[in-house]
Amino acid sequence: MINLVYNEMIKIVRKRRLLIIAAIIVVLVALFTYAQMKRVQSLQEQLGTTDWRSQLQQQIIDTQNRLNSSGLSEEWRKFLQIRLQQQQYYLDHDINPSAPGAPTFMRMFAENSIDLFIPLMVMVIAADLVSSEASGGTIKLLLTRPVKRWKILLSKYIAMILSVSFILLSLGVISYFISGVVFGFAGWTMPLLTGFSVQGEELDTTNVHILSQWKYLLMEFGLVWFVSIIVGTLTFMLSVLMKSTAAVMGIMLAALISGTILSNMVSSWESAKYLFMVNLRLTDYVSGMAPPIDGMTLGFSMTVLAVWGLVALMISFLVFTKRDVY
Amino acid sequence: MKGNVVKIITALSIFSSGLWIAGLGLTIKDQFFYESEAPIKEISLKDVVAKQEDGIHIIALGDSLTRGTGDESGKGYVGYVVDELQTKTKQSIHVKNLAIKGQRSAGLASQLQQVEVQRQIKQADIILMTIGGNDLFQSGEALSNFSLERINQAKADYLQNLHTIFKTIRSLNPNAVVFYISLYNPFNDLKDAKTTSAVVREWNFDSAEVASNYPSIIAVPTFDLFELNVNDYLYSDKFHPNKEGYKLIGERVASLITFTEEDEKND
Repeated sequence: MINLVYNEMIKIVRKRRLLIIAAIIVVLVALFTYAQMKRVQSLQEQLGTTDWRSQLQQQIIDTQNRLNSSGLSEEWRKFLQIRLQQQQYYLDHDINPSAPGAPTFMRMFAENSIDLFIPLMVMVIAADLVSSEASGGTIKLLLTRPVKRWKILLSKYIAMILSVSFILLSLGVISYFISGVVFGFAGWTMPLLTGFSVQGEELDTTNVHILSQWKYLLMEFGLVWFVSIIVGTLTFMLSVLMKSTAAVMGIMLAALISGTILSNMVSSWESAKYLFMVNLRLTDYVSGMAPPIDGMTLGFSMTVLAVWGLVALMISFLVFTKRDVY
Repeated sequence: MKGNVVKIITALSIFSSGLWIAGLGLTIKDQFFYESEAPIKEISLKDVVAKQEDGIHIIALGDSLTRGTGDESGKGYVGYVVDELQTKTKQSIHVKNLAIKGQRSAGLASQLQQVEVQRQIKQADIILMTIGGNDLFQSGEALSNFSLERINQAKADYLQNLHTIFKTIRSLNPNAVVFYISLYNPFNDLKDAKTTSAVVREWNFDSAEVASNYPSIIAVPTFDLFELNVNDYLYSDKFHPNKEGYKLIGERVASLITFTEEDEKND
């Protein structure tokens, strides 16, 4: 079994996909670091102060003014209201939610890429794990060996999980070092707040507690990993079902992108919360943002995702072991 | 060589898998099984270290007039005051505009209870404010549905709040000069102009009376500025000033601010 997994790892490394993904991450992180730096500068210029309290206060006032203008959509109003209350809570407890530093950048990068960017990278690895063997014909060679079919598939699945972990690790390391050059490498022990829960338009703060940023980061990366595994599993299933890698990618891409669009407009279509793609933003629950649909919680989203993942895994194994290969 | 690369990547992958699973476990423990300890303390004003930047600090408080609604350049009278002041002094001027559109006197009174707002007021040298426009014009339903009784009720509440606001500002910062900018009548050219003007004048008079109870709170009139050709100075909503209107207010306020030798040394 270990040899089978190792064999699959060799295949993945040989395809140089990991290298390409790392290169994409380097380019994007550099881009975002530069954008973030510009934003900090313009904010300081605009407000004429480097004091974070004044800056945060100004953001709160700006939000309040936007809330008072007409023509805001219901979802956007709710989102702003929750964020406003949260910012006020941070301010009232003298905690800076965005003190500059590489760990803060890592956190924001992870939060913003959990629903699209990271799943896309995972897809690049998982999409052709099985389908490429089918389209290339090598599947026959693989299956003629005296190994049970489910073992072959399992070894591919484990290799997928390992590469997902590796992608996340490189994401963390790359974003830490690139952004650290600009923002400094400190900030691991900075305090952050978690445990907010959203009740309608109100922010419930009874369970709010302080976490060090390193713990917070570890938690968020754990969630990102969970999401990546689920997305990877779904892609894996499609890869088993279809011969064409392009079709696998197309379907996953459509699902993921529709997820980001749907999250912005589903608040009135309640049963949409059972779709996997609107449940991807798990980190928002930790940081205390308003969920896309009322009543969604971390437990709910994780359960939905886990169910989708398990079903996909079962289908993959059933189909792969029963299918005729010719 | 190739084999080594694969071995290293595999080892790192296994290690990071462990790390992320630990993170996931930590999340589950923290988010689902968190037992609340003592709640986190809110800070009070004295916990916050006042780090004073050099220069003149201006805080703007109030409603849409202070925010600058209607001025397409977005400056509002606050912006024009600063423009004028910059020609008078070499010091840098820091402006913080805490005004909220549609805010009424009760809202401002409660805004002044926020620790951060209090901290900023403590540091202020000059405070500019407008308040009361929404108390008067919205409770009187833009004076169209005119009812003297309702207006008087609104005024009583408003004056009470104004007392609270001035008292809070003075206790936080006894030295800053407060410019309370009073109301004009945007309905000056409508047919009820006589009655509406009378209401606004009285409103302004009573507000100025309240201001006179406190040291260096100056009620700045704007009524006269908009009395002739009111439409030239109003934005298309016929309620807020336009660029020209804000310029008039800004020039008037700026003309009241002077910098003495002593100020220059102190700041």
